[in-house]
Amino acid sequence: MAMKPEDVLRAIAAARGDAICVPTMTTSPAWRTIAPDDLSVGCTGFMGGASSLGLGLALAMPKRRVVVFDGDGSLLMQLGSLATIAGARPRNLTHLLFKNGVYHTSGAQEIPGGLTVDFVQMAKGAGYRKAYAVTDLDDFKRRLPSIFTEEGPLLVELHTGLADKTPMTDRGGLAFNQQVENLRKKLDKVG
Amino acid sequence: MPESIPAPLIIDTLKDTFREARGTSTREPLGWILSVPDTHQKTVLAALDKERALRVVTCATEDEANAVAAGLWIGGEPCALMIQHAGLYASVNTIRGVAMDGRVPIFYIIGLLSREKDRDLKDSRHSMVRYAEPLLDTFGVPHARLEGPDDVHRIPEYYRLSRERRGPAAVLVGLETI
Repeated sequence: MAMKPEDVLRAIAAARGDAICVPTMTTSPAWRTIAPDDLSVGCTGFMGGASSLGLGLALAMPKRRVVVFDGDGSLLMQLGSLATIAGARPRNLTHLLFKNGVYHTSGAQEIPGGLTVDFVQMAKGAGYRKAYAVTDLDDFKRRLPSIFTEEGPLLVELHTGLADKTPMTDRGGLAFNQQVENLRKKLDKVG
Repeated sequence: MPESIPAPLIIDTLKDTFREARGTSTREPLGWILSVPDTHQKTVLAALDKERALRVVTCATEDEANAVAAGLWIGGEPCALMIQHAGLYASVNTIRGVAMDGRVPIFYIIGLLSREKDRDLKDSRHSMVRYAEPLLDTFGVPHARLEGPDDVHRIPEYYRLSRERRGPAAVLVGLETI
């Protein structure tokens, strides 16, 4: 049975320490409830950009972990970012891919290739240091410490079901520009 | 008549620009170049390969370069995007989402491949040359032409402008760099 995205996010919130998190699409509504007012910036308004936004953060802050919560449909929009990330070799970047096989936000239309698309192979082929899939929540929890400490770039394909909310059913949250400003201020304070 | 700009002049100007942006910080690299390789600026890109003070991240698309720039900005790092006019057209939605709506200052150095030496941009035979300035105008992106070595002062000027207005600003490289 596929993992519930909210359970995965709760496990991440409990273990992430001071990691910067970059949610996008259907992880955004749940994440702002689970981890409000924290070191996060959502990729909002430019679908597909979460991985690259995370790369920029990881390069700017090499001593801090950066964790991207990507979607399969989102990553397909900027699939070349796998090679860009691999080429830039950020040791502190973890790329979590929430794989549900559909564009949930726009009505759950199947993504090209559906669930057969193998992002683990793609990440390995692009040159990520490590990539693997996780299908079980207990297994994910066991792996969490290494997910936050292992040398990156690391991609973990998470086999999940659909989130309870999407950015269309729960439109709250700050605009991207406000999130950017808030995170800049927080990072400026804590370094 | 426009003239080609030597690569070392552009690189030294970028280094000065980033040095000013960093203030007293001695952090390395001095700044970041996010590049989607551009034929028009290939001598600059080749020279950057040997440059230790600036780090180049080659991106697969201009969309990525814009989003990487946002992450660098959040983390306090200076950067510039080196792209081609075709890349400007390709990444319009990301420029809107990141630099405009997101109010992320992004400085673009845009190569005008195929720009004719003896024609103004608006009279070019090539649509990709003709549309660059009108597109930037449509989006309200301030821009200036680098028509020769005397114009490189536009680099720090428009870099600073992007920071001041918290949004995009661009310089257009008129002729192929040497």
